[in-house]
Amino acid sequence: MNQAGIEPQAMVQSKRQLSRPISEVQRYGLAVTSFAIALGLALIAEHYGFRSGHMALFVFAIAVTAYYGGPGPAVVTVLLSIVFFDYFFVEPLYSLSISVSDLPYFVVFICFATLTGSFGAGRRRVERELREARDKLEIEVAERTQQASLLNLTHDTIFVRDMSDVITYWNRGAQEMYGWTAEEAIGKRAQELLHTVFPEPIEEIHAELLRSGRWDGELEKTRSGGTQVAVASRWSLRRDEQQRPAAILETNNDITDRKRRELEIRTLNEELGKRTAELESINKELEAFAYSIAHDLRAPLRHMAGFTELLRKNTASLLNEKSQRYVTMIMESAQRMGNLIDDLLAFSRIGRAETHKTMVSLEQLVQEALAEVRQDVRERNIVWKVGGLPSWYGDRSMLRLALVNLIANAVKFTRTRAQAEIEIGCTDHKHNQVVVFVRDNGVGFDMKYVNKLFGVFQRLHPPEAFEGTGIGLATVQRIVHRHGGKVWAEGLVNQGATFYFSLSKSMESNL
Amino acid sequence: MSTLGRILLVEDDPKDVELTLTALDEYNLANEVVVARDGEEALDYLYFRGNFMTRAGENPAVLLLDLKLPKVDGLEVLQQIKSDAQLKMIPVVVLTSSHEEKDMVASYRLGVNAYVVKPVDFHEFVNAIKELGVFWAVINEPPPGSIKK
Repeated sequence: MNQAGIEPQAMVQSKRQLSRPISEVQRYGLAVTSFAIALGLALIAEHYGFRSGHMALFVFAIAVTAYYGGPGPAVVTVLLSIVFFDYFFVEPLYSLSISVSDLPYFVVFICFATLTGSFGAGRRRVERELREARDKLEIEVAERTQQASLLNLTHDTIFVRDMSDVITYWNRGAQEMYGWTAEEAIGKRAQELLHTVFPEPIEEIHAELLRSGRWDGELEKTRSGGTQVAVASRWSLRRDEQQRPAAILETNNDITDRKRRELEIRTLNEELGKRTAELESINKELEAFAYSIAHDLRAPLRHMAGFTELLRKNTASLLNEKSQRYVTMIMESAQRMGNLIDDLLAFSRIGRAETHKTMVSLEQLVQEALAEVRQDVRERNIVWKVGGLPSWYGDRSMLRLALVNLIANAVKFTRTRAQAEIEIGCTDHKHNQVVVFVRDNGVGFDMKYVNKLFGVFQRLHPPEAFEGTGIGLATVQRIVHRHGGKVWAEGLVNQGATFYFSLSKSMESNL
Repeated sequence: MSTLGRILLVEDDPKDVELTLTALDEYNLANEVVVARDGEEALDYLYFRGNFMTRAGENPAVLLLDLKLPKVDGLEVLQQIKSDAQLKMIPVVVLTSSHEEKDMVASYRLGVNAYVVKPVDFHEFVNAIKELGVFWAVINEPPPGSIKK
């Protein structure tokens, strides 16, 4: 394979050296021609009085024919030579009589023809063998050239190095990745070229390679430009006919991007871990903060309320009506602040508490919520419409609280109605989502404030009209969010309101 | 109502002490109240140590225990009492500002006899203290070895 670039030239050279075998006509033509030339030259020599050397000419002609033309033409030349030599140059001249004294000539001719003929035959045999070898070589070269060009087609980086680490093959992928051409790389030591950084001692890699014939791993190599490249490397060991290790074929793929992304992911994960830890510590701080509110803020508030009450008791006869009203307002404010703190703490507990999700009958939850809310509104004229509701996966006490808040809301904001109508049902019940609604015919709200409805401490009515801390719907939203659902509302001023919440079936939603 | 048990009030906030005593006083329950200002003082009282080395030998009829206390906090005091064979019979009522579920759970786990969240509203507060005082110091029959007047 590694010779692929050289062999075509060698092939052309051998083609020039090994001419194709000559045809029958040419061979016999050669016999006749060489004989004719020998005869002509002999006759010319005779004509100019040279009496010796004729025989050498004929012997030469026989030799040439036997050598180049083969046995058949040699016989022809020998016969022609015998006849014409006898006729022109052997006494009696110009007759074909053959005497015993002529026999040495004939023997010389035949011996010479046999000798040179056998030389020629040997030469032709060698030639044929060479030709066959050449043909085989050509086929192999063609195959290997094709293989080599196929290897050049692949985007993978492939190179071969012998057991002394000298590069013997270098494909186009290798050139593209490392920057050296095949001419530059072949013959160099791979380590000197690529400065490979191995993940384990090279001895262990070689031991593995010799044991199993292959090795793969991730390597760091250096390009011609000096930049580093991370590669996934696969090595295969090639053995020669005696099963001795001969070469190592190495295939490399650039994984620099992958490594970079892995590093990025690792960095991001570490970052995420850090952030999570930070958030956890912030969460703990918040918890401590909430606890501190519970304890530390409530205590002074209780003292304010308590001592104001004592003040009022002790000064009841001394204070005028106005001052007594001030005292009352201080107490009311303390009470309200107490409620706000309590609600805020309850709200923060919803966020911090772990959810315990089970299959819950929403219908039963609605009944429970209704029972709780109805206790306070026995004297009211309320028409209840409760539709069928499915069982759903969720935290029972949280969902119950959400329903209580929504129903209590509906009851509160229908207070001004002579006959309140409150409907509870479900609009949408797909396999993975349910939408529950609570509809009332109360005072409603302006849709342009719809975004404020679910905010903490957000209120759309003055406290003297409707009491409340503005935490009920925020609590509903938080509960629904923890169930992977959504809350929304529709309403019109004085036309009632509908509050919806969806619950998804995802068991993982535990935000 | 013939006998009145001694109440050990463990409370660090003097205003709370005053409000509690006022509430108890309204129902004539305040004359047998001992106040400890932190957990250590409460344990000193129970173990006859420090200032209480020379006090009389009985246990209080009830212990009203705040949770957030300097030095030794309420839960530690509770744990100490409930793991002591001599003291574990003393009824302990946690009287706290904390609504926190984990405090409540921890208290009950340690064997508290009652858990009361101090109401912000004074009337409710007075009511709660009165009922506690009446129940534990008057109605409840304390374990043997408690101070009765």
